[in-house]
Amino acid sequence: MFENTLDNYAHSNGLRDMNTFFKVLFAISTMLVSLISTSPVVPLLITFFMSALIIFQAKIPWKFYLKFLAIPFIFGFITFIFMSLFFGIGAHILDLGVFNLAVTEDGFNLGLLLFSRVMGGFTCMAFLALTIPMTELFSELERFRIPQIVTELAMLMYRYIFLFLDEGINMYHAQETRLGYSSYRKSFKSMGMLGSNLFIRTWIKGEQAHLAMESRCYDGSLRTLKAPESIRSIGIGKLALFVSFELILLICVYLTWNLRIV
Amino acid sequence: MNVLETKNVSYKYPDGTPALRDVNFNASKGEIVALLGPNGAGKSTLFLHFNGILRPSSGQVMVENTPLSYDKKAIRQVRQKVGIVFQNPDDQLFAPTVAEDVAFGPLNMGLHPDEVEKRVAESLKRVGMEGFEKKPPHHLSGGQKKRVAIAGILAMRPEIMVLDEPTSGLDPKGASQILHILHHLHQEGMTIVISTHDVDLVPLYASQVYIISEGHIIKEGTPQIVFGDVETIRNANLRLPRIAHLMEILQKKDDLPFDKPYPLTIGEARRKLLKHLEE
Repeated sequence: MFENTLDNYAHSNGLRDMNTFFKVLFAISTMLVSLISTSPVVPLLITFFMSALIIFQAKIPWKFYLKFLAIPFIFGFITFIFMSLFFGIGAHILDLGVFNLAVTEDGFNLGLLLFSRVMGGFTCMAFLALTIPMTELFSELERFRIPQIVTELAMLMYRYIFLFLDEGINMYHAQETRLGYSSYRKSFKSMGMLGSNLFIRTWIKGEQAHLAMESRCYDGSLRTLKAPESIRSIGIGKLALFVSFELILLICVYLTWNLRIV
Repeated sequence: MNVLETKNVSYKYPDGTPALRDVNFNASKGEIVALLGPNGAGKSTLFLHFNGILRPSSGQVMVENTPLSYDKKAIRQVRQKVGIVFQNPDDQLFAPTVAEDVAFGPLNMGLHPDEVEKRVAESLKRVGMEGFEKKPPHHLSGGQKKRVAIAGILAMRPEIMVLDEPTSGLDPKGASQILHILHHLHQEGMTIVISTHDVDLVPLYASQVYIISEGHIIKEGTPQIVFGDVETIRNANLRLPRIAHLMEILQKKDDLPFDKPYPLTIGEARRKLLKHLEE
């Protein structure tokens, strides 16, 4: 199951023991740099650098990683095509010859910029998702003063997503066993039953979980053992490396300010 | 001394269906009490009365000889004293990591974080789950989840542990690990109440047995007394332990001189057989 492997990698990868705050800081600032860049060069650089980090440092199998990247890639690519065909005015650089469609210089540049930003931003996200377990992300969220209700909801949702999936998959197999998906008509009917049943099950499970929590003196607020790692444990060396990396990126952004591919 | 007692407890579901009828249940300090009954007999419903989650329609629940009062402060104390381990550990484990889940109860009791951390480490050690602190529950096996659920209750330092079907759905090794934990707790003086329909295990650990059927206690006493009443057992959709059943067949069909009370455990049967062979 995809969700499960993602979770497994987050819990055991080459960068698992690195300071979580540092990883979050790194990913988010790099993402911001990728977003402020006005030329596609820096975001693409970031894409390659992040991918290299994920594959060689975090040791995520490249096959899995590419699969992971496929969706945003396809999405970004389609946007790129549409942007270059329908946006911008100015010199045509390629006439398609049908419906008066043509790629304009403006549109092509804009599309490419968008595509590179999507990829740059997404690889930063992938770095977050693949190297930091959700559980540690929650305690970081608290450091960033995200309201407690949000982190509580996120915690509960994270825990129950897996039970929900399990339940759904079990029911799905049970239906398949009794030929519930042998034709289109039956598939629709079975899917509907699966959905409504899952809803009821979720309700019951929720009630049972509430009983169990009440038995442990639950009074409406989830307290957590807070022990976020100190920022000091990052170490001066890594911090300096991080700052200089972001600075170099920013300088690149400045140098390529007006650079256009076409 | 009875640490946990119900006096004529009856309970009706909100829609009026009776679930419990005049239940009198006692657990003495330091004993292991088994509540034996078929599915749907009301075992779980009765358990939810023990820590005040459900309120009896009539009758009284007593913890340490004081009747339960249902105001907020008193109920917190009761829930600390009476810890319930639910049948399905997935209902109980809600936190994203093992350590956070075990810490949930003690944190709700308002303990200092240092003390909470100490208790988390200690209770995980007692159930043999140290080293799993940072794992999410969905990466654990069924038996491991169950042990974490027990640790979550132990961390609240209860005086009475109530376990709903602690061995159901576990493989033999997982089940015997749970029984070992319970055995140790028993030696430390913990009062333990277990619901089950696994009749083979009951004579191994329980000193007192209650049989519940259709919301009513139909038999109580030591395992010897309760399993001596074969008819009641069978009427309640239960059976004798396999060993006792074998002895019954040997006596009735093969005319071997194994009289009642039938031995209930392998140990007892062995002694009886050896004695018979010597004669």
